[in-house]
Amino acid sequence: MATTTAAVTLTSDLLSDNMSVSASTTCMKAGTTADGLDQMEYGYVEIASGTAYDIIGNTPTASKASKLYIKNHSTDETYYISVVLDAQAIGKLYGGDWMFIPADFHDANADVEITATGGTNKICYALFHEGTTLVAS
Amino acid sequence: MATTTATITMSSTDLLSDELALSTTATLTTAGTSTGLTGTAGLARKTVSGSHAQYTLFDGSDYTADKAHKLYLKNTSTTAAEYFLITVNAEDVGRLYAGDWALIPWSAHDNDCDIKIDPSANDMTLEYMLLTDD
Repeated sequence: MATTTAAVTLTSDLLSDNMSVSASTTCMKAGTTADGLDQMEYGYVEIASGTAYDIIGNTPTASKASKLYIKNHSTDETYYISVVLDAQAIGKLYGGDWMFIPADFHDANADVEITATGGTNKICYALFHEGTTLVAS
Repeated sequence: MATTTATITMSSTDLLSDELALSTTATLTTAGTSTGLTGTAGLARKTVSGSHAQYTLFDGSDYTADKAHKLYLKNTSTTAAEYFLITVNAEDVGRLYAGDWALIPWSAHDNDCDIKIDPSANDMTLEYMLLTDD
């Protein structure tokens, strides 16, 4: 099996004492400790302002333990992408921000759509998954 | 100003034929600025006792809309099959299985944009922290 680990560290001085939170997980297939996620998509795209774009072209198997990483590599802090799942706005990734979320893809409409604002946003993404329904040629 | 950073490191030696190594750090700032986030709902731990049901973690109407809030979540369960289904504005985002964590941008764009969790079993525990842009 493939072993992929994802670790996060959050540090801050916004409280009166310093804060540090760390977590690490091995990306496993849904409901198992024996088999890791063994497929991935990785990409880099530049998206012009005002353009909406489905970042995952194929449909991963629904309701699994897929993980989606997106980073906005734009260096202008006023640039951002809006992240929309199945027409519901989730959040915005400003220049330099990243996200790492579980991705359900629970039906054919559960696309991950991003829309760029401010200028041409430079987006890096990776999807770790258990399989996709490939688009027939 | 406060400085809050979030660092992710991803690695695998056998997912691809070559090694995967990814690491990046974001300084979490307010929407469209270089000013650091200054608010937090605190680091918290919630055990959903008794029979499992959907639970509102954060109410969209309590937070300023269209901002750069960030939400950290971790499922502390050690039972592989146990997960929290995370929803935003009634849309299923994904399943956070045992030991998994997430960092989610949240715009709280309207009063219905609640963050809810639905544990798959009784007595599951979630750790979470909301960093707010107010």
